Amino acid sequence: MNDNLLENLSLIQEKTKYYSDVVVRPFALGDSGKAGAIIFVNGLADRELIDQHILKALMSIHVDQASITKNYIKNQVLSVSQLTEASSIDEFIPKVLLGSTALVIDGFSEALVIGTAKVKSRNIEEPISEALVRGPRAGFNETLSDNTALLRRHGENASLAFMSIQVGERAKKDLIIAYIMDIADPDLVEEVRRRVLKIDIDNVMESGYVEQLIEDNYLSPFPQVQSTERPDRVIAALMEGRVAILLDGTPFALIAPVTFSMLLQSPEDYYERWMAGTLLRLLRFFAALISLLTPAMYVSFISFHPGLIPTKLAISIVGARVGVPFTSLVEALIMEVAIEILREAGLRLPKPIGPAMGIVGGLIIGEAAVQAGIVSPILVIVVAITAISSFAIPQYSAGISLRMLRFVPMFCAAAFGMYGVILFFLMLCAHVVKLKSFGVPYASPAVPYRLSDWKDFFFRMPMFMMKQRPEMLHTKNQKRKRN
Amino acid sequence: MINNNTDQITTAQAAVIVSNFLLGTGVLTLPRVAAEAAGTPDVWLSVLIGGMIAIAAGIIMAVLSKSHPGLTVFQYNKSLLGKWIGGLISAAFIIYFFMLAGYQVRALTEVTSLFLLEGTPSWAIIIAFMWVSLYLMTGGLNPIARLFEIILPLTIVIYLFVMFMGFSIFELDNLRPVLGQGFMPVLAGVKPTALSFIGVEIILILTAFMKQPAKSVKAVVYGTAITVILYLITVIMVIGALSVDGVLTRTWPTLDLVRSFELPGLIFERFESLLLVIWIMQIYSSYTISYYAASLGLSQLLNINLTSCLFALLPVVYIISNIPKNLDVLFAFGDLLGNTAIYLVGCIPFALLLLTKWKKGSRG
Repeated sequence: MNDNLLENLSLIQEKTKYYSDVVVRPFALGDSGKAGAIIFVNGLADRELIDQHILKALMSIHVDQASITKNYIKNQVLSVSQLTEASSIDEFIPKVLLGSTALVIDGFSEALVIGTAKVKSRNIEEPISEALVRGPRAGFNETLSDNTALLRRHGENASLAFMSIQVGERAKKDLIIAYIMDIADPDLVEEVRRRVLKIDIDNVMESGYVEQLIEDNYLSPFPQVQSTERPDRVIAALMEGRVAILLDGTPFALIAPVTFSMLLQSPEDYYERWMAGTLLRLLRFFAALISLLTPAMYVSFISFHPGLIPTKLAISIVGARVGVPFTSLVEALIMEVAIEILREAGLRLPKPIGPAMGIVGGLIIGEAAVQAGIVSPILVIVVAITAISSFAIPQYSAGISLRMLRFVPMFCAAAFGMYGVILFFLMLCAHVVKLKSFGVPYASPAVPYRLSDWKDFFFRMPMFMMKQRPEMLHTKNQKRKRN
Repeated sequence: MINNNTDQITTAQAAVIVSNFLLGTGVLTLPRVAAEAAGTPDVWLSVLIGGMIAIAAGIIMAVLSKSHPGLTVFQYNKSLLGKWIGGLISAAFIIYFFMLAGYQVRALTEVTSLFLLEGTPSWAIIIAFMWVSLYLMTGGLNPIARLFEIILPLTIVIYLFVMFMGFSIFELDNLRPVLGQGFMPVLAGVKPTALSFIGVEIILILTAFMKQPAKSVKAVVYGTAITVILYLITVIMVIGALSVDGVLTRTWPTLDLVRSFELPGLIFERFESLLLVIWIMQIYSSYTISYYAASLGLSQLLNINLTSCLFALLPVVYIISNIPKNLDVLFAFGDLLGNTAIYLVGCIPFALLLLTKWKKGSRG
């Protein structure tokens, strides 16, 4: 840049000729006889700020030309908080493209870059995917600064650290690693940072990209990083010694490391009194087991061991199946796939139609299938119980894992009956115990035995008994109370 | 060569592995085997004595391994006895562990095809089982230990539940008279129980992987004690319910006990499926650890990669498991293994311990 305004402007015009949304607005600096121009992007920059605090102030200068210096403009004219200098056009254009306004003045060889970015953000609303009866109604939104503010606002905590990293080669995005300095294991924080820095991709759309690029095992059906829309969940995880990752442009924050027990926990377990919390949690474990194994048990009992179920029940099941033309596996597959399609279709439908669709699909098709003799009524019950149980899983991604997995034991059961189901169970356990999430065994705290962590596993012990952070996370500060 | 530090197990895990290894085929056959030899209802005393002997042998082996920190039996007997004799003993252990793995897989096939899968070819049962186990083993000892930690509590809870359901047909008279024919039948019953206590020798290998090798005695004592208690409950319940004469005629008396009562009112009136579930998981754990021990031994003896050992030896174990022609030969094979164990596990570690002490004494 040189100090001739007209030359600068033609250079700027040349450089921005492919950006039709860039506005160049020339003006005179009051009655001093000097001229200047501002450059900003239409829609990104805050018009009101520009009109009131930049243009108005500059146009009403009443001093002579000689006393208009850079410092004068900076210190006495522009009443804005964010102000930097740029010595070349290439330096300020990227900033302008993010919402800043550049000010060039005749006779100055430097441009002033004024922070005028105005992000239109959604209000803080209740998270849709993780609704709670009791608990804060606030959820993250798409603006990173709003999200970090939500975490900060939770309570005065000088040790809550935010580490900022840019990800994406072409579309650079801000990503923040949040942790609590005197709790989180420094090795864990370093590991998360190392993995985030290794992300090498031109565009990071959503935190799901980050999740998939930093996870341990891409072949595993289990989520190894937890995603959540709830600030309270993030805070709770940070206080346990975990690390959170927030990305600009998405309301989903990531929490790492994940352990198996987290998949079936809900923040409500802690907000309700401990008895309710414990019972609901046990119920969820039970529901997970049902949604995983019931169809397989049906297949194995029907095809291989009707003798293992009580005689009366066996008779009524066999009786109900008379006339069904398919093997139990095919029969179960038809219904299970149908209900998966129903569920997927229900997600896409506009809200008012969704429930109607559920009724049409679930009730009418089920009823008609039984009437037509294609499936047995017992199977309809089995499929319905399975589907309902899978809705009891508080995490969407964990629910998906179980939905995928439950088809595997059905095939095992069709091949080997109960023996196949047992082998599947062993295989699944073997996979879970081999899996690690950021160095923490996925199966912990179940195994290796950490009895002090079991207070918050199947059971949710009364608050006064949970005074320790989870041992498995190797936190710097183990106690949850005054030191 | 000190073993990889990352693959370490805790004391509790070592105890769990010992316990899981011990609980295997014995659960189903022990009452019959012991009753055949003793012929009196006092077999529970035989089991108790057998258990005590197993614990004593376990302590000897734990002390032996403790004095060679970080080394498995395959490694330190080379330095104790020289390359050839040491290697020979290692080879004996390895073959023994392989035979054990083959035996267990075969017992699994027999029970599964009898009670769960009539008509399914045994090769399919075996191969599926071996692959599931191989998948776990490729992760190393740590995942094995963790999986066992899941299996053992499940086993104990379900097993105790099923056994105590049997109280409905339990009669104390079947266990009387205590010591009616003197103490000799009890002693006669001790030896046949040996096969049920095969497994303590795993401490020879586990100690090398323990975070605190000094606690290996504790691990083996606790691990064995859990099993002894479960065996005692089994023998008392089975003999109490079916009587000595009833037990003698049944191949798998424990399963028959569970099949012989029905409790109306609960969802499942019959519990054999539950028992079979945990039994298959127990066989899985016993098989996995003996196979792993054998492969580990082979890889340390010949200095080859453990993973390739794990894969290469699949057909060997498969063939071993197919050798016994019928159930009688299988049980004879089991007895042979039990007898071998007495020498291999009872005498050799003791000799090695003496040798270690003597070498240390002469050095210091």
